[in-house]
Amino acid sequence: MDVIQEIIDKSHKADMNDLERYSKVLKAKLEIMLAELLEECSDINGAMVSSTDGLAWARKLQEGMDENRFSAMSSALLALSDNLVRETHQGQIRKVLLESSGGNVLILHAGKILILTVFTCENVNIGMSLAHANKTAEDISELMEQCSS
Amino acid sequence: MNMVNDKIIFTGPVGAGKTTAISSISDTPPVSTDVACSGEERAIKDTTTVAMDYSYIELDNGRRIHLYGTPGQQRFDFMWDVLTNNGLGLVLLINNNNPDPVGQMEFYLDAFADFIRKTGVVIGITQVGISDNATLADYQSKLMERQQIYPLFEIDGRSKQDVRIMIHALLAVLST
Repeated sequence: MDVIQEIIDKSHKADMNDLERYSKVLKAKLEIMLAELLEECSDINGAMVSSTDGLAWARKLQEGMDENRFSAMSSALLALSDNLVRETHQGQIRKVLLESSGGNVLILHAGKILILTVFTCENVNIGMSLAHANKTAEDISELMEQCSS
Repeated sequence: MNMVNDKIIFTGPVGAGKTTAISSISDTPPVSTDVACSGEERAIKDTTTVAMDYSYIELDNGRRIHLYGTPGQQRFDFMWDVLTNNGLGLVLLINNNNPDPVGQMEFYLDAFADFIRKTGVVIGITQVGISDNATLADYQSKLMERQQIYPLFEIDGRSKQDVRIMIHALLAVLST
């Protein structure tokens, strides 16, 4: 909690343009949140936070996975999905779910400028991962709001 | 020629005017995946394309041409492959106001070299005359040096006429 307090104190009068200045502390906090997500839900074997324009912010991924590349891909997928949902009048997107033979990928908005991407193990009950991913995305969104208010 | 292949791809660096060019000539509101810039690019502009721009135009003969714009940043190069797949040709836009615009032209010509070899390219230089960065002759002599002969235009991406001329030039190149 000290970290959050520190960010809030520092960014009290900050607008979005000043966020970068606190990004080090913020990124450290995000890494902790990702570590907690993986700890709480054993079905999840990787997660990362990136900006909507595809820059990596924090990662908790398996060895050899390039978060810079996957951040760009997540932002492209989510932006296109946002468009499809909006243009077909389906309201607001909640998440993108990729179901594949070796596991699942979840991509969620986490506040206005961040994206949470979660990777699950093979053959898991997706419900548990969804619930945990939702919760973490909400937490990140709240954290960002505290930072920018 | 298969109708499915009637697809032209717009590419070029951040801020070259790809999204603007596509929206200025398109017959319908384009699909756009612009999001707010968060990194260093914020200094250049407010929003950037992360997946693609899409629209289409109908030529006078009724032929429908699909237009795809790529994201500019290299971190989105996976989209370059996705979007050029089965494409007809490339429109390369370069912002003359960027640092080293001639070098940027070379970078994109190299990055899309395979696609250009199979199809064709036209090059449009935007924002000419705003800075004395480079002249059309500088781009031309670089192309000569590379032994590449491509149509080269000075264009205003906001001008429907300018963009249309480039597309017609590309189609002319492709039909020869």
